[in-house]
Amino acid sequence: MNEVAAASLSIQKRLDRAFNPRTIAVVGDKRAMGYLWLHCMKTFDGKVYSVQVDPNEIPGIEAIGVPNFKSLLEVPDDIDYVVCAVPRPVAPRIIADCIEKKVGAVALFTSGFAETETEDGVAVQEQITQMAREAGLLLIGPNCMGIYNRRLGVRHSTDQPSGDPGNVGFISQSGTHCINFSLVGALRGVKCSKTVSFGNAVILDAPDYIEYLANDPETDVIAMYIEGTKDGRRFFDTLAEIARRKPVVVWKGGVTAAGSRAVYSHTASLATAPTIWDAAMRQAGVVQTESLDETIDAVNALTYCKPGAGSRMGLIAMTGGQSVVITDAFERAGLDVPLLTPASYEKLSSFFNIIGGSYRNPLDAGGTIGMGFVPGNLQKLFDILEEDENVDAIAMEVGASFIARRLRENPAMLDQMVGTLAAHKERSAKPFLAIAHPGHVEDVMADIRSRLIERGIATFGSFQAAAKALRRAVDYWRTREGPPTQ
Amino acid sequence: MSVAEVIDNARSQGRTLLTEVESKQVLHEAGIPVALAVFAPDSTAAVQAAEKAGFPVVMKVVSPDVAHKSDVGGVRLGLESKKDVRLAFDEMMAAVKAAQPAARIEGVAVQRMAPAGTEVIIGMSKDPQFGPVMMFGLGGVFVEVLKDVAFRIVPLEPKDAREMVREIKGFAILEGVRGQPGADLAALEGLILRVSKFIEAHPEVEELDLNPVLAYPDGALAVDARIVVGG
Repeated sequence: MNEVAAASLSIQKRLDRAFNPRTIAVVGDKRAMGYLWLHCMKTFDGKVYSVQVDPNEIPGIEAIGVPNFKSLLEVPDDIDYVVCAVPRPVAPRIIADCIEKKVGAVALFTSGFAETETEDGVAVQEQITQMAREAGLLLIGPNCMGIYNRRLGVRHSTDQPSGDPGNVGFISQSGTHCINFSLVGALRGVKCSKTVSFGNAVILDAPDYIEYLANDPETDVIAMYIEGTKDGRRFFDTLAEIARRKPVVVWKGGVTAAGSRAVYSHTASLATAPTIWDAAMRQAGVVQTESLDETIDAVNALTYCKPGAGSRMGLIAMTGGQSVVITDAFERAGLDVPLLTPASYEKLSSFFNIIGGSYRNPLDAGGTIGMGFVPGNLQKLFDILEEDENVDAIAMEVGASFIARRLRENPAMLDQMVGTLAAHKERSAKPFLAIAHPGHVEDVMADIRSRLIERGIATFGSFQAAAKALRRAVDYWRTREGPPTQ
Repeated sequence: MSVAEVIDNARSQGRTLLTEVESKQVLHEAGIPVALAVFAPDSTAAVQAAEKAGFPVVMKVVSPDVAHKSDVGGVRLGLESKKDVRLAFDEMMAAVKAAQPAARIEGVAVQRMAPAGTEVIIGMSKDPQFGPVMMFGLGGVFVEVLKDVAFRIVPLEPKDAREMVREIKGFAILEGVRGQPGADLAALEGLILRVSKFIEAHPEVEELDLNPVLAYPDGALAVDARIVVGG
């Protein structure tokens, strides 16, 4: 093994220790922040220690039930992961302690470094970078929120779920987007395995974390928010290699001229021309997104839909108007809505209610399936689309506009419908998507959405969002498969 | 002269921009189809070069100071005879001197005039993040006005060249429109991949422009080339 490979392996091993800690030290937590970090770690299964010298802060820390020490070096345990929230001038001293203590890694929540574009900020950043580099300390950040491990309850927001495992890894240069991805994502079905907010990336950069998640058996899909990278070449090579094994979703911030100006003052990253960035991502075979919503939707399509490179849709909607609009949405996203096979039409003609409905594709099926609540007929539609060789993927509108009152009175109806969808999804070899858009009965819709998500069904808030997400997934699987052999 | 010798020679003269003759020679060595040009310092040499290349020929001014040859009357196409060449040489010298009196004129480059084809551009420049990036597009207004180009990071795999050619909005033109035969896409892809290999083998190349490359129903040929190397 050459030197570079050995160094990289050692980083990966130590990152594994930091991502799966048994001991955590929080340095510099304080009342003014509501003891954010100590509260975040309340769900952590292992041991938590606090380091704080300010006598005014210590009683508050001890009241939370966390033992406090005056110095990291006094903590009577090996420390796998440190979160450091001290003021900038104190940061070099804590870094020195982390080095001496041989901690697994330290996440520097402290900010005010190169991103401020001030002489002082740049100088202290250089100082801690130099210290960490010479000592081989794994430094996450600075100007970051560090690690979230859902299963172990290592968190960087007190709202983050914990205890059960997830399968989506997320890395982010922004703490906000990292937290939002885990929180908003959780609401929409995304379960994070591990995430990291890594800020200015002075020692560890995006490729280190991406490599880690690529080799993490818990992580099936990798997504990220990126503003720029120190070594574009390494970033590109890493993505290109990993996208062949696991789906990778890249949400790029700062793609406009004004946006890239904001990037520098945020994480001090250099910008590359948007056209070149776009080409590089396409070439690497990753999925590109432009917002939190698109990222969550793409991740859901990649996680919950069966992998498929086919673009021909079988569509089910509840009314004539929705049949038209769902078809436009999927066609506009670059997917196809073909005619079905004669065999399908023969089967459909035997039971489909054509009064106020039609079945050329889209299937305007509200009357036939009683808005989804005539399970026998809904099951038949699924079976026909499943067998139809003109159809690669199936999307269905789940609407409650006309039956909200009935649903509220009779939740068993809803259970039955969700059960029919879940059973179809389990049996089907084709990607399946449900669209449950907001309506005037948002409480019922929210209930429907959460039941669908619970059953592992890819669920979207609009036809457009579903269509774009599936298009991205189809493109990913198509690129991964390679061009058709001629 | 090998690639290294051509580059060393240019550097020894304090140049980072290779002449058209040098650029084409280097690319020819790398197996890239180019319309080779011969340097001629005077009228007599230009006539000899034209006879050797075969009529009709193209004549272009060779000057380290002229960036846009056609703007100063430094390009003449379709010269059919020795007499045409002699006359064109004298006229060109006068035109360039008139347009840009301070320009040092070393002579002309003479090459056989390639038959008309669909003009495409293949280029490479270096991105501060990703390193060498290749560009492909249709020539003329498509690149200049519509910016209808595709990029890929070097090195390219066959699938990248394939996608790149098909990604531009004007791809239908390469497939053949209004009864025109389509371009030889395999030849274009092959040319792109050879340029990618050339750039990989020569990291000292900072910029490269093949503009235009003529795409034919059978084959493709770079008729102008420009290479900039690191200082």
